[in-house]
Amino acid sequence: MSDLFASLNSAARALDAQRLGLDVVGQNIANVNSPGYTRRALDLSPIPPNTKFSAGGGVTVEDIHAQRDYLIERRLRTETSAERREAALADALGIVELALGKAGQSVDADLSAFFDSFATLAENPTSAVSRNEVQDQGQNLAASFRAISSGLTSARQDADTQVGSVVEDINNIVERLRTLNQTIASSPPEARLAPQDAQALLVRQLTELADVSVLQRTDGGVDVSIGNGRPLVVGVTAYEVDATATGPSGYLQLSTEGFSLTGEITGGKLGALLEVRDATIPGYLTQLDELAYEVVQQVNDLHATGYDQSGTAGGDFFSFSASLTGSAGAAAAIRLDPAIVNDGSLIAASGSTEVGGNTVARAIAALRDARVLSGGTATLSDAWGQLVYRVGRDVKNAQSEQSNRSEILNQVESLRDQVSGISLDEEAAQMLRFQRAYEANARFFRLIDETLDMLFSMA
Amino acid sequence: MRITFNSLFRDGMRNIENASRSLLEAQQQVSSGKRVDRASDDPSAATGGLASRAELATVQRYEKAADSVYSRLTVVDTVLSDVISKLTAAQSAIMSAQGTTQSPVQREAAAQELEGVRSSIVDDFNMSFNGTFLFAGAKSTTPPYTVASDGTVSAYAGSTTEIEVDINRNSAVTVVLNAESIAKGSAGADVFSVLNDAITAARSGDSAALQTAMAGIKEAFERTTAAQSRVGGDMRSIDGEKLRLEQMRISAMSRVSKLEDANLAEAVSSMNRADTAYKAALGAVSTASRVSLLDYLG
Repeated sequence: MSDLFASLNSAARALDAQRLGLDVVGQNIANVNSPGYTRRALDLSPIPPNTKFSAGGGVTVEDIHAQRDYLIERRLRTETSAERREAALADALGIVELALGKAGQSVDADLSAFFDSFATLAENPTSAVSRNEVQDQGQNLAASFRAISSGLTSARQDADTQVGSVVEDINNIVERLRTLNQTIASSPPEARLAPQDAQALLVRQLTELADVSVLQRTDGGVDVSIGNGRPLVVGVTAYEVDATATGPSGYLQLSTEGFSLTGEITGGKLGALLEVRDATIPGYLTQLDELAYEVVQQVNDLHATGYDQSGTAGGDFFSFSASLTGSAGAAAAIRLDPAIVNDGSLIAASGSTEVGGNTVARAIAALRDARVLSGGTATLSDAWGQLVYRVGRDVKNAQSEQSNRSEILNQVESLRDQVSGISLDEEAAQMLRFQRAYEANARFFRLIDETLDMLFSMA
Repeated sequence: MRITFNSLFRDGMRNIENASRSLLEAQQQVSSGKRVDRASDDPSAATGGLASRAELATVQRYEKAADSVYSRLTVVDTVLSDVISKLTAAQSAIMSAQGTTQSPVQREAAAQELEGVRSSIVDDFNMSFNGTFLFAGAKSTTPPYTVASDGTVSAYAGSTTEIEVDINRNSAVTVVLNAESIAKGSAGADVFSVLNDAITAARSGDSAALQTAMAGIKEAFERTTAAQSRVGGDMRSIDGEKLRLEQMRISAMSRVSKLEDANLAEAVSSMNRADTAYKAALGAVSTASRVSLLDYLG
């Protein structure tokens, strides 16, 4: 008789277990669209018999576990970081590309128009109209250089602003990871699943922002470090990333605990922004500055050999609005010399004191074909082409790299989904499985109940 | 392999995104007619396009210069023709003043004729075109000769430096001439002094002086025809350059177009392909997410 009661108990436990199975299915279906959710699975095991006259104590619930593969998760983090980096590069450089303007509407066209104006002046060296044209085109060319330089500089500043907001995001995530570490460490294992899902999601968000290393702690938490092993979260301690505007440029420099991080971060969105801000755009600016500087030097050198309308030796044609060291900042400071702006007769077109001479105007017009850059191999418009090519190539590389990376990321995400994702078909099958098991166990319960009834009626 | 709801959804969305991006790119090519809109579309074609555009601008500038130089040289040519005909007239006037049978009235008529020639030739050399004195060399803002009240002509006040204009790379044409090289050349006296002498000699009936003047006029005549044939040669060479420039312009334009423009037939057909692919992706995703095991569970 005691065995019948034991059977009744085990049937009741089995009913509980199958109901829990349905619960887990319900939870999985409910969270099919929750980001970061990993599929839950129920571990059931039989209770072994304790006597020779027992088939066993029924079923017991061992565990509800999350189906997670740490290797795939780590791979996913690496790929996410790489993909986000290329995406951020492509975005930032796309803006730079726009700043350069379209072919035929930018420095290329202004250079042509500038040399054209000197060719026109050579035809009519004494014409006031031709001189006005030279003044206009000189100003246009200088304005074009300045506009592109300021476009590049503001793209650099935009990247810097974004660096600031990414650092804020990082600190935010780091703080939440620290709280989660605390929660996870102080929770019993069955209560860790949800915070661990949140933790995995946060870590992934963090890898989108920068290349971080993640170490799994034995208490279920994570330790995260950035750059060359600089800690962000260790157990329940968080270390903030500080962004301070420093130097003459006023750009943000990153540090943590007094160690400079700026040069150490290469991955994720932050890595891309720092690269664009500190290497890529400055490289473009240097090239633009060299071109502007060479324009000024070449034109001024020739202009100084000439004589203006009053027979006075030519002064500067272009000048800089600020004093420069080398060519740095030339594109931002280039301007038509104020004296020329005020008085077109000061343009030195003649090679002698005779006003009708045009040899200097012809020589300046012929500069368009002169190979004066890149060690005497490139004309001024070639140099502009080189800059356009470099930017275009960088954007194209970033775009194709991003598309490759996102293909890989997609594969890894599929791998993760194979392990951790929810298949509605599978859950439906599981639902059927637990439902049928529940029905069978309920029937078994009734059978034992009826058997007991029968036994009692014998008394 | 487990196929999960999320990967189905993500792959489906990804395919739709890819297909719609291709469609957008194809549509942009068709609607703009440009294959290369930004440098990143094709960096080397974009750079090649820039170089060809620079070449095109240069060639167009030279073409403009060739046109304007040509019209200026036409004026110079007309002026020199006039000088030649005036020098011919001077020769016949000198002829008519020579000989012992001429009456003072006839000699005076010849002298006046010569005075007319002198003033016409000065006018010719003082010709200005668009504010430029065509025979004053680099001093092109002032007339090369001035005429005194008695009709005598000053010495050459222009510059001996002639002005050239480029009509192609390494090809320049003289557009402002040095009148003195025509009026005087290497001779001891310029054509105006010769004419002065002739006028005096005609009035006085100095046959020997008239002979000398005749020789001087003849030399001036030869220098002028030489100058005119040089101008004619320049005009012919401009014609040649213009043909060359036109070919260069056409080839630069076709290079720009080849590098930057879309092949419309190809662009339209790839747009149609992209359109089909887009519809197929939409269809595939909607079909795939329509069936579920849940439909079959009672």
